[in-house]
Amino acid sequence: MATPIEVLVPDIGGFKDVSVIEVLVKDGQQIDKESPLITLETEKATMDVPAPAAGRIAQVKLKRGDKVSEGSLILMLEADAGAKTESAAPKPASIPAAQAAPTAPTAASKPASSPEPSAAVAASAPAATTAEIDEQAFSRAYASPSVRKFARELGADLGRIKGTGNKGRITQDDVKALVKGILSTPAAPVSALPKVPVVDFAQFGPVEIKPLSRIQKISGTRLQASWINLPHVTQHDEADITDLEAARTALKTKASQEGVRLTPLAFIIKASILALQEFPRFNASLDASGENLVLKKYFNIGFAADTPNGLVVPVIPNANYLNLYGIAHALADFSEKARAGKLKAAEMQGGSFTISSLGGIGGTAFTPIINAPEVAILGVSKSSLKPVFEKGAFVPRLMLPLSLSYDHRVIDGAEAARFVVFLSKTLSDVKALL
Amino acid sequence: MSVEVRVPELGDSKGVTVLEVLVKQGAQIHVDDPLITLESEKASMDVPSPVSGVIESVAIKKGDAATAGTLIATVNADAQAAAPASAPRTPSAASASAPAGALDLVVLGAGPGGYTAAFRAADLGVKVTLIERWPVLGGVCLNVGCIPSKALLHAAKVIEDAEDMAANGIVFGPPQIDRDRLRAWKSRVVAKLTNGLSVLAKQRKVDVVRGEAKFVGPYTLQVQTPEGSRRLDFKQCIIAAGSESTRLPGFPDDSRVIDSSGALELPVDCQRLLVIGGGIIGLEMACVYDALGVKVTVVELSDALMPGTDRDLVRPLQKRIEKRYQRILLKTKVAALEARSDGLRATFEGPDAPGPEDFDRVLVAVGRSANGNAIDAAAAGVAVDKRGIIAVDKQRRTNVPHIFAIGDIAGAPMLAHKATHEAKVAAEVAAGQKSAFDARAIPSVAYTDPEIAWVGVNETEAKARGLEYGKGLFPWAASGRSLSINRDEGFTKILFDKETHRIIGAGIVGTNAGELIAELGLAIEMGADAADVALTIHAHPTLSETVAFAAEAFEGTLTDLYQPKR
Repeated sequence: MATPIEVLVPDIGGFKDVSVIEVLVKDGQQIDKESPLITLETEKATMDVPAPAAGRIAQVKLKRGDKVSEGSLILMLEADAGAKTESAAPKPASIPAAQAAPTAPTAASKPASSPEPSAAVAASAPAATTAEIDEQAFSRAYASPSVRKFARELGADLGRIKGTGNKGRITQDDVKALVKGILSTPAAPVSALPKVPVVDFAQFGPVEIKPLSRIQKISGTRLQASWINLPHVTQHDEADITDLEAARTALKTKASQEGVRLTPLAFIIKASILALQEFPRFNASLDASGENLVLKKYFNIGFAADTPNGLVVPVIPNANYLNLYGIAHALADFSEKARAGKLKAAEMQGGSFTISSLGGIGGTAFTPIINAPEVAILGVSKSSLKPVFEKGAFVPRLMLPLSLSYDHRVIDGAEAARFVVFLSKTLSDVKALL
Repeated sequence: MSVEVRVPELGDSKGVTVLEVLVKQGAQIHVDDPLITLESEKASMDVPSPVSGVIESVAIKKGDAATAGTLIATVNADAQAAAPASAPRTPSAASASAPAGALDLVVLGAGPGGYTAAFRAADLGVKVTLIERWPVLGGVCLNVGCIPSKALLHAAKVIEDAEDMAANGIVFGPPQIDRDRLRAWKSRVVAKLTNGLSVLAKQRKVDVVRGEAKFVGPYTLQVQTPEGSRRLDFKQCIIAAGSESTRLPGFPDDSRVIDSSGALELPVDCQRLLVIGGGIIGLEMACVYDALGVKVTVVELSDALMPGTDRDLVRPLQKRIEKRYQRILLKTKVAALEARSDGLRATFEGPDAPGPEDFDRVLVAVGRSANGNAIDAAAAGVAVDKRGIIAVDKQRRTNVPHIFAIGDIAGAPMLAHKATHEAKVAAEVAAGQKSAFDARAIPSVAYTDPEIAWVGVNETEAKARGLEYGKGLFPWAASGRSLSINRDEGFTKILFDKETHRIIGAGIVGTNAGELIAELGLAIEMGADAADVALTIHAHPTLSETVAFAAEAFEGTLTDLYQPKR
């Protein structure tokens, strides 16, 4: 029997303190190479960590609910003889080695926004998980039962308190002092957002409590962070897509030969990339200091996808290198994966601009919330035939409503208007897109 | 009308597994009763019945893989029930929470843990339902454990004290013992306490349900009440279902083979008693029967009585009962037990084993097993180990966060006073408070004669763990109080942390040791050191003085004994 090797958490895309939501193996279990060992849940996705080698589990070293980072010990594995054992920390199956993509962990994008760590979001974030209590130290602390009970009520870790009582005994005042100390440390300024009133709805009639889905909970926080932190302005316009629609219809046969369905969204993405190339400030983010603009030289386009579990934003990487059919392919692939809940974390990272299209449903305009730390988002509503006054007469034209929300700290109103005008012109001039 | 019930649309989940089948063939079900529990990679969900009726057949079993459309069961639907047979409604994602109308808190078991949890939660404003399988509250402790046994042990003490004074000028003559009246008195003591409990439950508006309950889902218990089967949904549950005497396999199924409950019934025809198991329970009952004039034999498999307890604490007891009992057989097991009309014939096995002997009763007191499996806790997703024990965290939560476990079922030590304190923690946590079980010491008492009590670290454990400890010991032969009650075999022993002089444990053997140990429990919890106890003035002459003397012995300030300088 080989000496057990350590199996460690592999590179998980820069995430730290990721929750173990499932431990799939037990001590003594025989496993094959690549069979899943544990399931991790990041803010963005769940992923399995596969076995680096076949063998027998000597001892599982973590349990459900533990927090892990890259390099954390998962288990000891007695690898089968002959199995390669030197790479104890394999790449997880679910994250392809796409780390090359210039995705700074802080600039990761997702349903709404990934607030900068320095931004004062503490107030809006749900109460941080109660500070871990060192139970060992707690059980040895020189404190009477009443003081221990008091410490439990406040969630204070007795092990961290140096008692001021006789012979170092921890008094109730010592516990208070610890908590006061923590509260008065200059933490993120607790901005006093006025609270929405809490109402007992049941007093007005029958109600049903339904918890938000996991994705809704995550995206909710991010949407709120974006809404609070970014001064949003929305610029509306209409693009004449009569020619575009004609071209799209004409290309349908060709598209189906290519095996794709050519949707208006593919054209809109193509046009947006041209606009972003013309107006680079829209393909940018503010850095952590808020004083520099990070202009991105890549065009990774996110699109909001509606799934049974909630809103997700898959990202088409380097979309500027794709032609219309390539974009249409990517759209179809990612939408399918999103609906099946199979998007990987990496496939939702690294966006530089986001498009939210409600064109298939309806509406004339809306104000999309920016997928911070991006600085702009394009909302697309439903196109309709409208009379347009042209060369002395009203003619029916197919008009597509566009709504561009932008971060006013980065983008001026005139610039936004120019961007949208450019975009609608590009959409009207279908040849530029083909 | 026969209806096929199929797995509904599951959203994006494929390849879900059947975690639990909640219905059986022939079961009467109502619309929205859960049929099966499915588990996808994201969540577990119940599939509710689309119809009311009787299950004709169940087509799926635990562990099966299911997808939308998989046949679950065929139901003979009630005629009037609207039966949209085709597509049962999609289970809401919220089905992983308690069903509507669920009880706020159900406490399962009304022993000391259960009733304490129920009463504490009620006092905190929680609506509580208490389920008990026996007609009276109180559990093992009140009905067939601590309380009745203490009544009988008191009787034993009266007899023995009277005997002991014979040599000192007070001669009563042999006692006349009427076991029936003694038993009736014991029952009155029990009744007083259990009736008191019923009153306390009423005053707190705790709803008491009588019946035997089993879990059928994470939020559901099925209770067999005297009026029939009843389903109880709950939002939170505290399991306090206790333990039962461990049985020995291979023994004849004979009414003369009894457990501690049977022993408390004081059979009139028992003149020869074999006690299997030299632990606390066995030795307490041996003590009672010995005082009543029964010839007692104790068999213990290990090489010492009360295994795990410091040997020096057990020695005074052993010396006394060796003289009084017929036999104490260590390192011995009962290899066979044969039921004969005139008695139970036991065959012993071991280095000192005597030949076969006949007994009127055989008391099996080899330990207690937790009831985790008897209540199907696993059906709620609660992890139960091989011994029936349910693991809990500091807040007494099981692996299922809305279900708590306390008392014997949550593991050793199986003591009522551990259960009651756990009960308060669980009840407070269930009521939203942030309590935790932070006790540092749980006292143990053997109500033998002499009594043995200990708390905190015992010396055997201190040695095994390599602790740096100091010891203060005071023999009761030097206690005026002990001598004046005609006893001199006891002693008080306290263990201290060598560095801080704080008390880490204590053991006492002698009359009333169980009462005396309380002070040392408080001392440990308060972090008292040797001087704190030694300098606390204890009344003279009391047995409690021996606690202070033991601390003085460690401090070197003791004057009631001469100790050569260390």
